[in-house]
Amino acid sequence: MKPLSPLTRRQFLQNSAVATAVVAAPLILPSGLRGQNAPSKKITVGIIGCGNIADGHYGPLLGSPESIRVLAVCDVDRARRDSAAARVNKDYGNTDCKTYGDFRELNRRADIDVVFICTPDHWHALIAIDAMRNGKDVYVEKPLTLTIAEGRALVDTARKYNRVAQHGTQHRSMKRFHDVAEFVRNQGLGKLDRIDCFIPPNNRHCGATWQPEPVPANLDWEMWLGPAPWRPYNSKGCHYNFRFISESAYGQVTNWGAHYLDIGQWALDMDDSGPVSVEGHGEFPSSGLFTNCTNVNFTVRYANGVPMHCRTRFEGGGTVRFVGERGWLDIARDKMSASDNNLLREMQAPNKKVQLELSNNHHDNFFACVRSRKRPIADVGLGHRTTTVCNLGQIGMVLGRKLQWDPAKEEFVNDDVANRLRTRAMRSPWSLA
Amino acid sequence: MNAEPSSAAPAAKPKKVVSANPADRYSGAGNTPDPWDQCALLDYGADRSFAWSVREQVIATPPEGRERAEEKLLKALASSGRTEAGLAFVCQMLAMVGAAKSVPALAPLLRDAKTTDSARYALERIAGPEADAAFRDALPSLTGHFKAGLIGSIGVRGDTAAKSALAAVKDDAKEPAVVREAATHALARLATAKA
Repeated sequence: MKPLSPLTRRQFLQNSAVATAVVAAPLILPSGLRGQNAPSKKITVGIIGCGNIADGHYGPLLGSPESIRVLAVCDVDRARRDSAAARVNKDYGNTDCKTYGDFRELNRRADIDVVFICTPDHWHALIAIDAMRNGKDVYVEKPLTLTIAEGRALVDTARKYNRVAQHGTQHRSMKRFHDVAEFVRNQGLGKLDRIDCFIPPNNRHCGATWQPEPVPANLDWEMWLGPAPWRPYNSKGCHYNFRFISESAYGQVTNWGAHYLDIGQWALDMDDSGPVSVEGHGEFPSSGLFTNCTNVNFTVRYANGVPMHCRTRFEGGGTVRFVGERGWLDIARDKMSASDNNLLREMQAPNKKVQLELSNNHHDNFFACVRSRKRPIADVGLGHRTTTVCNLGQIGMVLGRKLQWDPAKEEFVNDDVANRLRTRAMRSPWSLA
Repeated sequence: MNAEPSSAAPAAKPKKVVSANPADRYSGAGNTPDPWDQCALLDYGADRSFAWSVREQVIATPPEGRERAEEKLLKALASSGRTEAGLAFVCQMLAMVGAAKSVPALAPLLRDAKTTDSARYALERIAGPEADAAFRDALPSLTGHFKAGLIGSIGVRGDTAAKSALAAVKDDAKEPAVVREAATHALARLATAKA
């Protein structure tokens, strides 16, 4: 552990001041005071994390000024938060958007209704839990959390504080994926034989060794690391590339698996459950800054015997393929194909016995639920279950042995090491408590 | 210019290096260090292949061999040349296979602000009253956000025996807000934990 830098000491004092205010004040703001259920009220938004993944949110958020207002942005990189605020202010034609370097300050603003969490994965749970404890509804980018324990804690917090919490798996709001899940649920493929998920390969690479670098003046590196184990700064181990480092994320297993495995879970009606076993043999780099799997290959199996395979596809992009006794369906964001075109026609037939909720826009669905207080299309409960499948794959590949999983207890059966990997201690002062 | 060797002091015969790995005896690569010794000397950014080797062995260890793996990790933990990155690595391994035997070695590290986070990484995953006691005993030794992290671990572990100590921290006006807030959340968690 390195001693705190002077900057961090100042930051810490500021944080302590904020925390003092929090201890003195109620943790939950009465929703009635904020009037968030009133249809005429603009829903006020804070964005935490202003990098690559946040870019996809500005359009929907700024595109509905009559009903949504972005009040604040937060990032530990001053350049990024300033750029984000400038973008918001330019769109609104004013200078009202405030910037923060510490999410806790934004979460404690009484005039903000919802928070979008677009940080690296190792921060998702803590920021979301803090936001919900402070009365915010949350939209949490995928994967929901880094670990299984974090996911359970996040869901429990959402329920305890009655918060609307959407997982950023927008495939749930794309009709193509909805239709396939519904078709499979209605036995459209006959008896389901298997599900094949193909995820893209890692798209960044690094050398066998690396050197610590000076922390850029605009970056609060201590806060960027947050709960992750300390390491010196290196530009290849920060923005975007965090996903290839296991202290922050689980590579494409969680980055893309969160999308495609999620559709498998949906089609199997496993939104409140999961598989019963996992087995995998991924390839992990034995040198260099990046530690996550470079060639993913695992299989989870459900109680009904259906396996869901997840593999890296080095060309062709991500997709999920359902294979049943009547043929197969292959679906990606931009295309869909089938072993027989009749399957695609049947898929559009009305009046199916099982009808899944249809959402055509992930943001609209979230904001409608913020007003109605209903659970959104990708509620964090099911987001946690999908993220758990990603974690099962990761743990299965790390251990390289077949593991039995109890989805009701959310624990591995008779494997102490695997169970220990469901969580990890966080760097001070952070914890899941 | 090199000095001629003295006839009175004949040059020592080079000592033959014998590698533990038979394959290395013919490779010309010299002696290969023991990864279990080397893993504690890891530096940030440097070659981590020895640590990787240890990690692979720890992961592949069957339950009946975990005690032996733990002993080797504890030996590495005690290495005189142990680095900060090496400590973090060994503690990450102990988080997987450590047991009560590890607690005496980790407890002093838990009480030291310089090493507490790594020790906590290992100890938080080690079940049992020995580790619980180590966490409680470390409470008076730490301050500020290190104490907050320690308290968080106690909450996560569900150690209900720590309730009174945490309640005292929560109510202590001299403690900084970050510590009192951590105690508040930990106590809320312990309120639902089984005694």
